[in-house]
Amino acid sequence: MSILANKDTRAVIIGGVAGVNAAKRMAQFDFLINRPLTIQAFVYPPEAGQQKEIFRGGELKNVTVYSSLAPALAEHPEINTALIYLGASRATQAAKEAIESPNIKLITMITEGVPEKDAKRLKKLALQHGKMLNGPSSIGVMSAGECRLGVIGGEFKNLKLCNLYRAGSFGVLTKSGGLSNEAMWLCAQNGDGITSAVAIGGDAYPGTDFVTYLEMFENDPDTKAVVLIGEVGGNLEEEAAEWLAAEPRRIRLVAAIGGTCQEVLPQGMKFGHAGAKEGKKGAGSARSKMNALRDAGALVPDTFGGLSKAIKQVYEELIASGAIKSESELDESLLPELPPSVQEVMRQGEVVVEPLIRTTISDDRGEEPRYAGYAASELCSKGYGIEDVIGLLWNKQLPTREESEIIKRIIMISADHGPAVSGAYGSILAACAGIDMPQAVSAGMTMIGPRFGGAVTNAGKYFKLGVKEYPNDIPGFLSWMKKNVGPVPGIGHRVKSLRNPDQRVKYLVSYVKNETALHTPCLNYALEVEKITTAKKDNLILNVDGTMGCILMDLGFPEHSLNGFFVLARTIGMIGHWIDQNNQNARLIRLYDYLINYAVKPERPVPDKK
Amino acid sequence: MAKILEGPAMKLFNKWGIPVPNYVVIMDPDRLAHLGEANKWLRESKLVVKAHEAIGGRFKLGLVKIGLNLDEAIAASREMIGTKIGTAEVRQVIVAEMLDHDAEFYVSIISNRDGAELLLSTKGGVDIEDNWHTVKRLFIPIDENPSIEGLTELACDAGFEGEIAERVGKICSRLVLCFDNEDAQSIEINPLVIRKSDMRFAALDAVMNVDWDARFRHADWDFKPVSEIGRPFTEAEQQIMDIDSRIKGSVKFVEVPGGEVALLTAGGGASVFYADAVVARGGTIANYAEYSGDPADWAVEALTETICRLPNIKHIIVGGAIANFTDVKATFSGIINGFRESKSKGYLENVKIWVRRGGPNENQGLAAIRKLQEEGFDIHVYDRSMPMTDIVDMAMRS
Repeated sequence: MSILANKDTRAVIIGGVAGVNAAKRMAQFDFLINRPLTIQAFVYPPEAGQQKEIFRGGELKNVTVYSSLAPALAEHPEINTALIYLGASRATQAAKEAIESPNIKLITMITEGVPEKDAKRLKKLALQHGKMLNGPSSIGVMSAGECRLGVIGGEFKNLKLCNLYRAGSFGVLTKSGGLSNEAMWLCAQNGDGITSAVAIGGDAYPGTDFVTYLEMFENDPDTKAVVLIGEVGGNLEEEAAEWLAAEPRRIRLVAAIGGTCQEVLPQGMKFGHAGAKEGKKGAGSARSKMNALRDAGALVPDTFGGLSKAIKQVYEELIASGAIKSESELDESLLPELPPSVQEVMRQGEVVVEPLIRTTISDDRGEEPRYAGYAASELCSKGYGIEDVIGLLWNKQLPTREESEIIKRIIMISADHGPAVSGAYGSILAACAGIDMPQAVSAGMTMIGPRFGGAVTNAGKYFKLGVKEYPNDIPGFLSWMKKNVGPVPGIGHRVKSLRNPDQRVKYLVSYVKNETALHTPCLNYALEVEKITTAKKDNLILNVDGTMGCILMDLGFPEHSLNGFFVLARTIGMIGHWIDQNNQNARLIRLYDYLINYAVKPERPVPDKK
Repeated sequence: MAKILEGPAMKLFNKWGIPVPNYVVIMDPDRLAHLGEANKWLRESKLVVKAHEAIGGRFKLGLVKIGLNLDEAIAASREMIGTKIGTAEVRQVIVAEMLDHDAEFYVSIISNRDGAELLLSTKGGVDIEDNWHTVKRLFIPIDENPSIEGLTELACDAGFEGEIAERVGKICSRLVLCFDNEDAQSIEINPLVIRKSDMRFAALDAVMNVDWDARFRHADWDFKPVSEIGRPFTEAEQQIMDIDSRIKGSVKFVEVPGGEVALLTAGGGASVFYADAVVARGGTIANYAEYSGDPADWAVEALTETICRLPNIKHIIVGGAIANFTDVKATFSGIINGFRESKSKGYLENVKIWVRRGGPNENQGLAAIRKLQEEGFDIHVYDRSMPMTDIVDMAMRS
């Protein structure tokens, strides 16, 4: 048996993320004792209509979030309890609605920092409606083997350690949430565990007092004794003493009272819960509460440390008197274990999961990302540059100093080519239409293809093929190309020619050949090809794509990575153009009519639809 | 609870039509001279100058000066501003009109569980404690404001007569409005004075507590609550309060000078029991501390460092009950970092650390803090099987 919460309790949680977390903890308890889910619904307007995923053991339940209490209760007429997890400024209204809802009998307010006036009003309202209001600032209610309301009882392991899967003989009443858990543990260690534990909250004016709960425990035949943990301030403990003394009681009372330290502290210094404040002339002091409870017949140790012994003593006396019959213990090993997550099971090596993807270049599972095994910060501190990161992520190799200098130059040289080319123009057009940076840059990026910038890969690929299949036979290579591919990728330029050479190409070729020791079979081959093609037509020169492709092949980059150098380099330019247009607050652009040849049919009537 | 200073209290009284003397709050004595040029009452009335700070026993400390003219008030302000009392410094003074009066009354309202109680006596002033039997009381249930007639009746009952009783009834009714609408927890006016020649009333001195949790519905609360610990907050206390106001959960810290046992304890209930245990064993606490509601590790780290800096401590009690949802591993990582940082700065010499805790991820948290033994900390770590406050006994015996 129990008080407040039992097997028939069905609850709604009013509140957001804290409420959902509590629901998860509650579902763990539901799983432990094999009862249906306690939580039936959430009420939280900002997330109305959503479903929250709650695991009851291995079973995944979806609990609906409602915009207000009325529809939640209409859908779930079995709900008889409300838990309030809203912030203090909204909690009062929610509690009021819950109290006024006929089906709800118990309202537990977890919310801390509720104004005292609001707490008093709610208490009065609950009284008028004959409802139980627990809290504010309550950690919740635990009825062993029956129901858990709130996160009281802590993690799953603790539920077992405190024997909360089955009822004992002790009731627990505390103001503090942490001490309710401690008291449940003490009852399990020194007695046979608890029936119910209620944390009433440490505020000055809790919704329900100790006496009300003592009376409920008195009427619960399974509860043989109550452990009450009170503290300085207010007079709830004194009232409990009066209640105990008023007439013979069935239940025994063990109590600990906090706050005796105030006797030696500088005057006026107080700490602890909001309600822990001594009144004028020593009223509500810890000492006076202890004395009142002792006089009334409660067992009150001098300090918290004496509580274990006191509980044990009462437990043994209750057994001796026959009030508690020690029954055979439940075999704890038969209790269910919380199903572990896939990660946990994998860590223990008990399950094999086929990976979905495989990576060979980087790993961020440690303290910091590693590129092909090297920590990013270490690369920085040892003086490596972005070219080396490209080498690692695209080719899994740290380039030599000479190689990284070449990579750096390739990127510098191809970063931008003015606003007129397809890529930059695409980005500018998008920027002028007010498109955000990632999309505008992508607009430019979509231009990269066979006619614009996308020839690097193919140039590298086919010159490499030439080196391999047609060494010393350029005409053979050219006729194979003509037959199988078409124009040679990397050869030819719209405006540049032999007489008007591309300075970037000239520089790159001369840098690689004269200032590095790189072995350049592809580049050499392409220059030989150029000699033949320019003899035919003066603008069939080796262009920048072709030059890059050859050098990158010679550097040993994978064939399909080659376009990446243009994509990467040109991204810098496209971002620049987007920033530039935005800095100028550029207007929307459209083509002038005179830039368009309207080669369309003349105006004519639309025929009737047949 | 939040005690507020006289200035803000007077402002709230004014708002609700409770008569107050003329007053100004100043930080600069020269400003008072200028105010004197603008305000006739400053030039023509007798004045009282009081340090406008949360310092107890101001009268004995010479921080209240009465019966002054404007020049004397300026001189008194000049003298008071900048005075240091312990860790506190007088930054502001309140200068008020000393109303010549014929009688001093007492009126207060104190919150209780079901509403509030109004207390009224014709025998106000310094002797109220001796005349406590003359106090008449009226219970005011929550949301039920008493009528002016009822309050006038109470005044008559308390010994007020005729027009004075009527006026006192009216003042009480406004006081109830102020109390209710300003989320007050207590208001004590002593004395409420009357000058019969022109039937002028004024609340000469008042102490007011408001419910700081209700501040979300008081846009005009431009004040901060003053310390409730009988002295102004120290810098370290202020810092922890600043952190507390920014985080989920809470961290709290109060210094108790001269103590030898520092508390780094969790939970509002358990922390007090730890303080009790120290005192019960004849020890002296160096502070009160509390972290609860699963605060961020960095906040606990800051609290730890603050505690490690307390002078002359011999023990640190890292105690707590078995937590419901405060993650032991996460909060302990803050404590561990705080200890390491403090040690590297030269603190924690000859300090013994005692740990007892349970709760979510307790095994990992306790294992991590136990490792500090290897780093040369004098640390003793226990799990839930050690009764909660027994580490205090062990510390005191060692």
